[in-house]
Amino acid sequence: MIDAVHSLTLAGATQPEYPSVDDFLPDPFVFANTPFAINRIILVRIIATIIMLLVLGITAKKAKLIPGRWQGAVEWLIEFVRDSIVYQVMGEERGRRYVPMITTVFCTLLVFNLCGIIPGMNIAASATITLPLVFAMWCFFQYWIAGIREKGLGHFLRDELFPKGVPWPIYILLSPIQLLELLIIRPFSLTIRLFANMVSGHLILALCLSATQFFLIDVENKLLAPYGVVTFAAGMFMFLFEALVACLQAYIFAILTTAYINMSYPEAD
Amino acid sequence: MELFLPKSYDIVWSLIILVIVAAFFYKFFLPKFQAIFDERAAKIEGGIAKAEQAQKDANEAKEKYEAQLSNARVEAAKIRDDARAEASHIIADARSRAETEAAQVTANAQRSIESQQQQALVSLKGEVGVIATALAGKILGAKLQDGDVQSSMIDSLINDLDKDKAE
Repeated sequence: MIDAVHSLTLAGATQPEYPSVDDFLPDPFVFANTPFAINRIILVRIIATIIMLLVLGITAKKAKLIPGRWQGAVEWLIEFVRDSIVYQVMGEERGRRYVPMITTVFCTLLVFNLCGIIPGMNIAASATITLPLVFAMWCFFQYWIAGIREKGLGHFLRDELFPKGVPWPIYILLSPIQLLELLIIRPFSLTIRLFANMVSGHLILALCLSATQFFLIDVENKLLAPYGVVTFAAGMFMFLFEALVACLQAYIFAILTTAYINMSYPEAD
Repeated sequence: MELFLPKSYDIVWSLIILVIVAAFFYKFFLPKFQAIFDERAAKIEGGIAKAEQAQKDANEAKEKYEAQLSNARVEAAKIRDDARAEASHIIADARSRAETEAAQVTANAQRSIESQQQQALVSLKGEVGVIATALAGKILGAKLQDGDVQSSMIDSLINDLDKDKAE
């Protein structure tokens, strides 16, 4: 049986090249076993960063008072983050301090997420646990700093752990949950949401495309070709869907970061 | 499970990239665009103010122009009235002068006619006298050599002539 499978494999592919989670754990190819080891995903991340900095940097360098189409699009993005995310959640006065942070988070994650559907890259630059985690930790520090600065540590913790208007026995249940939320759930939910979306998106898209490759081209029995057409259609749909998810997850990450920081501020009267 | 365990090199690269992009957005990208936005807002506000100023200037100019126009109209009317008055004055002058001249001419003519008539009368009287005297002399001969007779005769003759003429 195993021999049969083996011989078939030699004769031609018997099954699609299924994607696996190993795609997200590629072996480093330079500086292996050092803290500066680079694997495929990190290379994608570095390239994406360089391209983003070059494109946006040149745009900013050449920015004119009367914008062209491209500058108009970039300005639209900046104003979208500022007005629709930060000012919408925090209001202008409080939000001004966080506009650069949220712009960084949104733009970087948007570009990194979109790498997942760029041919040649084919994997989101945010598709390792660490990158979303680093951004989530930034958010974590920002809302702790904001809380301590605005209210003082004791007052901040009292507001968070013992919300007003709750009968005291509930605190036995509520306070640990609130503490957990403050310390772990917020950053990790941010991390896992983004990471899992990138992983699952890549897996489904790669599955559709590898099945298409297999059924339309590799397989010898051409009767299976129509099935390949179906998987190709599904792949196209997933491609567009991933584009949507890339934007949506960047937006969600940015708006939740804003909301978490905003929660550290005293309630508006 | 390995998927969820951060690798040290992954942490390093993620942090490096985060610091780089954050520095880029904080220090360069957003300040640059903020400057552009501010400058644009200032330009637009300046433009609006300038447009308002221009509007005001235009209104002022229009008012001034209209005032000048109405002034000019009044002046033109005045000039026209003056001209008309002058014209009638001139006409009246001319007429009175003409009338005076005409009267003078008439009077002169009258006078000259009268004087000529007088002259004619005088000369006629003389000639008639001479002719009559000559005639009478031829008729009466020496009888009329005496001057007194001669003049009385001429006078009566002329009176007769006048009488004849009156009739």
